[in-house]
Amino acid sequence: MSNAQSTQIHSDIPAHGMDDAALAGYRRQVARLPMTMQPALNQQLSGWANLFPYEQNRVARFLGGAANCSPAQLDALTQSLRAIENRMDVKQWDFNVNADTMENASLLARSPYYAQWRGEVQKVFTAVEAAAPQAAAPRHDSGRVVLLILPASLPVDSIVGRKPWDARGVEMHVEDAHRISDLALHGESALPSWVDARMSASEATADRWLIDADAGLGGELSSAHPPAQLLEYSVLKSFRDEFLRQVNTVPKDISATDQILAHVRGEDWDALWPASLKGQDRLRRFVIDVFLSGNGALIFSNAFVQWSSSEALRRARPRLLVSRFGLRSKPKPFSGIAIFENQQKVSALRDEVDPVGSAIDARILARYIWLSAMRYPERDRTCCVCVAESSGSVYVISPPEQRPDWLTTRSATPEDICAWMRHQLAEKA
Amino acid sequence: MDVNRRNLMKAAAALVVEQWAGARHLAYGDTHGGAGRKVIIVTCGGIRREDTFSEEGLVNIPHLSSDLLSHSAFYPVVRNNGVTAHYNTIASILSGQWQRLDDWGKTRPASPTVFEYLRKEMKLKPEQVWYISSNKALTSQIGASSARDFGPAYGANVIFPKQLLINAVVRAASSGRPVRGTDRASVAPELEAMLSRDNYDGLGWSISGDASSLDTPTLGTMQEAIDDLVRTNAPATGDEFTYLVSTEVMRRFAPSFLAMSFSDMEVAHFGSYSLHLAGIRTVDRLLFELWNLTQELPAYKDKTTLMVLPEFGRDMDGSTTNGFFNHRQDSESTRMTWMVCMGDAVRSATTLEAPVDQTDICPTIARLFELKGLDLAGKPLPGLWL
Repeated sequence: MSNAQSTQIHSDIPAHGMDDAALAGYRRQVARLPMTMQPALNQQLSGWANLFPYEQNRVARFLGGAANCSPAQLDALTQSLRAIENRMDVKQWDFNVNADTMENASLLARSPYYAQWRGEVQKVFTAVEAAAPQAAAPRHDSGRVVLLILPASLPVDSIVGRKPWDARGVEMHVEDAHRISDLALHGESALPSWVDARMSASEATADRWLIDADAGLGGELSSAHPPAQLLEYSVLKSFRDEFLRQVNTVPKDISATDQILAHVRGEDWDALWPASLKGQDRLRRFVIDVFLSGNGALIFSNAFVQWSSSEALRRARPRLLVSRFGLRSKPKPFSGIAIFENQQKVSALRDEVDPVGSAIDARILARYIWLSAMRYPERDRTCCVCVAESSGSVYVISPPEQRPDWLTTRSATPEDICAWMRHQLAEKA
Repeated sequence: MDVNRRNLMKAAAALVVEQWAGARHLAYGDTHGGAGRKVIIVTCGGIRREDTFSEEGLVNIPHLSSDLLSHSAFYPVVRNNGVTAHYNTIASILSGQWQRLDDWGKTRPASPTVFEYLRKEMKLKPEQVWYISSNKALTSQIGASSARDFGPAYGANVIFPKQLLINAVVRAASSGRPVRGTDRASVAPELEAMLSRDNYDGLGWSISGDASSLDTPTLGTMQEAIDDLVRTNAPATGDEFTYLVSTEVMRRFAPSFLAMSFSDMEVAHFGSYSLHLAGIRTVDRLLFELWNLTQELPAYKDKTTLMVLPEFGRDMDGSTTNGFFNHRQDSESTRMTWMVCMGDAVRSATTLEAPVDQTDICPTIARLFELKGLDLAGKPLPGLWL
């Protein structure tokens, strides 16, 4: 397969910016694809500098695959999808090929051919990607550690209850389980440092994610290391409040909503970002994307933790993800009706925490993070530790080859568990 | 719900119905009876089977699974084969045809709704068909189709009680007057103003004609009730208010056909599973109260068929659409749901295992009202006295 002579596709992925020629080459490849595949790719090219290295590689590899296909080959690969688009009458739609919009999603979702369309897009993506140069294939040889913390404020007796997360999972009691997060995050043997020591600075930055419902995870991280991707819900409060206020101006009209969301996306939020995100344009953009993609991230801290973690796994494929849940307030009078509102503004009544409800939420959302991690090829080298600090319950999922002896005896100290996590981060295939 | 709050909500519900009906010059019905059958259909947002009719889920629906199921026709496999969004699904149920419309209710259903069939074929008065909904995702376009020879002239009275209160609260907040006990005097007028308006901004619909003025006792009750509402510290849910408005409509107009939609469980979109389950439990309780009310009101006793179903399920745990948060996955978890049917049309308590479609509900309602010759895709449900 080769059509490379007609388009200039860079096999070296530019880490930050991309020159005009390279961008034009990529855009030419996008234009060769069926119409409904174009918005997402064009959107990614437009925001290239804000993509994580994994995403840049993925887009470049896919478009490299397209460049390797002759016109006849690409026609053959996309014939079925184009036929579905014709049946959908996409050309008659007000379909935006430059960016994913709610209007696009709504048009596609209500088509009777939607399910067929989704299946066919997946087939084309896989086939085109397979045509990419082998050297560009992603590596899935790193170990991954997912550490989930249900803090002492959340009353959790059993992490898994009646719904085991994974057949390999083991729940056990650990004395002083609260020390696991301390050992994992602080001191010379902290997990983020462990990642740093094994990777280049640019890699390490996107490879360590700390996501917190409150603002406790980042406090003691060493400043000697490149900054981790640290997101703390509490610290984002000023930004969230104003962002939510603007999002709530959205009317009940899809095209108007797209316009307002585009405006919100492009707004200069500099004055409202917390100091911890200073100079971190890519992470700021990530936060905006998370907030605009819904899923409660603007409303409930635990939803923010879950959805940010899932998106971080999807977009950055980090080596280390630490997610800590927290408490939410009970709905206040009126906000039970208008739950989508900022209830601190709607009601001046004092916040009253809901430990039991928060714990129910956190348990299922922690499991969702694990299920997100299971979607990707690295799943076979992904380890999980979930700690319920209130009860000392610890749930551990280990790949068979890395299974520690203490998992069989169900007897471990916080030091044992943290040493095992460090070992996983050092693992290579 | 505590007595004070229930009283307040009742009074607010009465006011909403008063205002609405007055603006439309609707006549009060014969609340002491009437020969005809009554049908009430309640749709309940997105609820997964595993959170309801499963071993783990039964705890969330104690009334449905015991008090009500014991004299119901239960359809454990009801499929939504359309667009699993609120407006499209409810429009499909009400029209008996899968609808593919703008999700946010910009356009009317493309084929006639059961409201229009009833009003046109049975020559029912406007006050005899109502649609009352908690769901923000809908608009009044749901009340009538764009079909030729049908349309708004035969449409339902559509009312969104929850939206009225939301607007009131938001307006109060945006005016810099947060809702709290100490300044309730400033909030109460906002609520009153909103409830009294005859043109509700932001809802996509308006009421033509003059607003009726409240009689003094009603106004007094309302003012007292709003005062109580602002003072109380107990959460008030939108579905409770929708329920009370619906019961007020039943008492005053005794409509032949009443469709209701609950949506407290839609808090799932924001990721709180505990509040989602609380929403399911609230609906379970309200359904039990609704059923009991139909056994008490003379206009409804022994002649009412009550149908209850979720609009769809929710997405599977682990799906790329984020599990219970959403309902857009093409999966059994999202498409397969259930229905409980009780009352007049039910011959005996039974479970009907054969799969049925949501589009079979409209022809069933049509048959209950002895409407014939309608061009509908589905077929009447088995197991009912039609």
